[in-house]
Amino acid sequence: MSTRFKVSRRDFLRSAGVGAGALVFGSYLTPSLQAQGLISNLINGFPVDGVPVVLLKINGDVEIITHRAEMGQGTRSSLAAVLADEMEADWKRVTLTQPDAEGHKYAVTFPEEVTDEHKLPYPYEDIPRTRKPKAQYLVPPDGSQFTDSSRSVTAYFAVMRLYGAGIRLAMIRAAAKRWGVKPEECRAEKHRVHGPNGQSTDYRWLLLGAKKEKPTYEEISNALKKPEEWRYIGKGKEPMPFYDAQDMVRGKTEYGADVHVPGMLTAMIERCPVANGALVSYDDTAALAVRGVRKVLPIYPPGVRGGGVGRAFHAHAGVAVIATNTWAALQGRRALRPTIKWDLGPHASYDSEVFRKELEASTSKPGRPVRRLNNVDDVFAQAASADTVEARYYVPLLAQTPMEPPVAVALFENGRMEVWAPTQNPDGAQQSAGQVVLDLNDAQMADEEFKQKAREAATVHVTMLGGGFGRKSKPDYIEEAAILAKQMPGVPIRVQWTREDDVKFSYYNAASSQYLRASLGPDKRPTALLQRSALTSFFGTIFPNYSTPGLSDAELAVWAKGRLALFGGGEYPYASGIERAQGLEDMPYDVPSIRLENCKAENHIRVGWMRSVANVYHAFAINSFAGELAIAAGRDPKDYLLDLIGRDRILDEKLMTSQFVERFRNNEFPLEAIAVPVVPKGKMNQVVAGYPPDTSRLRAVVEAVARDSGWDQKVRQYKNMKGRGLGIAAHRSFLSYVAIVADVSLNDRNELTVNEIWSAIHCGLAVNRDRVEAQMEGGIVYGLSYALLGEITVKGGAVVQNNFDDYPVLRIHQTPKINIHIIDSMDAPTGVGEPPTPAVAPAVANAIVAAGGPRIREIPFRHHVKIV
Amino acid sequence: MPVFQLDVNGTKRTVNVDGNMPLLWALRDELGLTGTKFGCGVAQCGACTVHLNGKPARSCAVDVGVAALTKITTIEGLGGNHPCQQMWVEGGVPQCGFCQPGQIMASVPLVDMCRRTGVMPTDEQIDDVMRGNICRCGTYPRIREAIKKAAGVTV
Repeated sequence: MSTRFKVSRRDFLRSAGVGAGALVFGSYLTPSLQAQGLISNLINGFPVDGVPVVLLKINGDVEIITHRAEMGQGTRSSLAAVLADEMEADWKRVTLTQPDAEGHKYAVTFPEEVTDEHKLPYPYEDIPRTRKPKAQYLVPPDGSQFTDSSRSVTAYFAVMRLYGAGIRLAMIRAAAKRWGVKPEECRAEKHRVHGPNGQSTDYRWLLLGAKKEKPTYEEISNALKKPEEWRYIGKGKEPMPFYDAQDMVRGKTEYGADVHVPGMLTAMIERCPVANGALVSYDDTAALAVRGVRKVLPIYPPGVRGGGVGRAFHAHAGVAVIATNTWAALQGRRALRPTIKWDLGPHASYDSEVFRKELEASTSKPGRPVRRLNNVDDVFAQAASADTVEARYYVPLLAQTPMEPPVAVALFENGRMEVWAPTQNPDGAQQSAGQVVLDLNDAQMADEEFKQKAREAATVHVTMLGGGFGRKSKPDYIEEAAILAKQMPGVPIRVQWTREDDVKFSYYNAASSQYLRASLGPDKRPTALLQRSALTSFFGTIFPNYSTPGLSDAELAVWAKGRLALFGGGEYPYASGIERAQGLEDMPYDVPSIRLENCKAENHIRVGWMRSVANVYHAFAINSFAGELAIAAGRDPKDYLLDLIGRDRILDEKLMTSQFVERFRNNEFPLEAIAVPVVPKGKMNQVVAGYPPDTSRLRAVVEAVARDSGWDQKVRQYKNMKGRGLGIAAHRSFLSYVAIVADVSLNDRNELTVNEIWSAIHCGLAVNRDRVEAQMEGGIVYGLSYALLGEITVKGGAVVQNNFDDYPVLRIHQTPKINIHIIDSMDAPTGVGEPPTPAVAPAVANAIVAAGGPRIREIPFRHHVKIV
Repeated sequence: MPVFQLDVNGTKRTVNVDGNMPLLWALRDELGLTGTKFGCGVAQCGACTVHLNGKPARSCAVDVGVAALTKITTIEGLGGNHPCQQMWVEGGVPQCGFCQPGQIMASVPLVDMCRRTGVMPTDEQIDDVMRGNICRCGTYPRIREAIKKAAGVTV
């Protein structure tokens, strides 16, 4: 049996003996999922050495551990329903449990013995191995509960199927033995096994029998349902269940602020308005005089610089008012505010408008090339200026503003911290809380041993999230609760953020300047494309750098090492490999000469990520520019976009390397399909799908959305109308492909109406079709919101905006009709949470031009057209 | 500290708070009714929507002293099987669910009126009634559909 590192999918399926019609899996098994351990882990809720993903109770009921954070994307129900489907469980007997932060248990790993034959897949192959690692991770243990990057279903679909099928197979075998018949003569349906002669029994009577069965991985693989047998998955017979819906409409779902620990006090924190500031002094007399206020405590002592640039997930300097109820805490905070003196620190002169000029200056000169094909300078030198098109685009800082503002409860008792919080990053939260307990500094926390000690000092209970969008990946609000709890041992402390806090103290999506230039040949196709991308990288916020005050050279050195190992580099003030791979390095247009550059941009405020992250500005720029090129070429924008996408190409490792792309991150998934043995030296291989950029998929979604919108007819029709137009854009992100057509009207009063949106997505197999549609609707509304309305500005180092009145977001009366087309596919599932968002802004910008409006090159559009 | 008697979901509850405490915090912190949510505190987002004498109100902007003069209904008092709640579930409306109690409470009077009169709600009416409720997950298209279904369905 071949175990070559690089195999083509077709070769592998032919030679591996995998059953006909078997899906290529999207993820690896863990070593502890070896079949022998599979069932014995599951009975009576006592996992032995395995991943406690599913537990069978003594009455046959099923408890499924939903380890990914649920923030509305629906993966909690989806992944559980996948298991229940393969298991043939009765959904009414299924309960879902959100586990505490215990990240190491949900890793998706390679087998332990990785020999030269089983080379690590790209991009892990050159991680320095100073010691022999226990296992290699596709979703590393630090990150296995870390829910972002639209990868929950991508990573865990196959695993949940295997668990479900394994239980079903064990139950059938146990029943068959009992009845003295062959397993092949039996079938399972909704928690029961049915025999060939009318026998029938519930799973609950088979628990001990099933426990003795030890189906092998190969047997379980062969027992996987064929797609036509699925109950819920894909185009299953029934819609996927939505576990939390009934509670949600009754107000019963427990979010972070609904947690009530007896004796709990509530804290509201007045924070230093500028990053890296420090408290100087305050007078707590007035605050303490408010009825209900118990204590006033600083987050850090006076003189100590708080969180900000280069300070990972640390909270801003602040002073907390702790009271018996939220209103008293708010009143106390208002009384405290005028008495506080801050040392605003090194970023007090940060002005976002001034900084915009810095960003634009940065993209006005050559940056660091991140992808090169031939020589654009030669082509530009020979092109006439009439054939040269250039444009500059700008996207400001953006705030995620989930409906639920950040909140966390912490209790410090017996030397340990117990936390309840809505978090996308349970492991990060656990580390933050533990770091507070053990009083470790950041350099120590870069060390694995200290990190593990910190984890052991804290428990984090993960609640339902009232929205995340990337804000709740950052555990700064958990650190605040832990810091206060440590100062009041035995007293549960709830830190409640206001909406103003959420708007003013986010980890913003980076501000970015994008510069593009192209020259058009005689056939009006581009002969050369130059793109310069300057963005304030979230690496600049997380990792200390030369601009972070108060760190020793030794600490900086430790961080540099950690940064390299963890994220494959990313030197300040350039972008990280992660951000470069989000719409820059995988630029899909077929142009004979290309140079894509990353330009410098310094951090002066906390930067993080917001739904689709760097795709926000990369998609806006490249798709708007495609629209500008089409107009310069005198061509229909949809046809021109298809021409730009060009011949079907796979941007595989060979192509990327030949174009000097350094370690294309690809959302941390492999570019090429890999076959890896399930058990060391075993005969059975599992194939992990590769997910290279595939321009044929981009073409497919563009063609779908052009057909659905009736593009050709409408464009002809609207040419004769005043003030109405269509725009198109398409973008690959998080391994999926989305195209958007926007139909807009612009009237005499310069008022913009978005009439209708058509969208198409290629996400491989749509596991939960209802939630894919919901994410398309939601992601499109989210994209429309920042495109038209939202913008964060900064003056004197402090965020100007306050609440939904001056950081407006899209409302129901501004929401157009949204049409959704899911491309049929049986390929391994890819991301859905973020992909619908990035192509919306450029589609609308292009539509505005088609409607006779201006070419808008900055977000939000309300600076140029009226949003009604 | 003054004592107020609040008529909440048909039951008289006593709270010992300042009269200027917003009703939202009395409901959540004093009475443990956490279905009503805090989203903005300035009546911009609608997550705190309750009914006062059957009319939608933003509880973050109503003082306890004023609310004590009314019959208060929260999401918990809707019964659980109101047509809106049923159609919200059937239509798969919620995503994160945080704004949905407020959305439902805002929609109920319109839906009840349409069910009484037998007249379907127009898109303009829906926009008018619902534009004060923000959903960051973007469930607006499904909210619209659920309201229309709830107004028309026989339960």
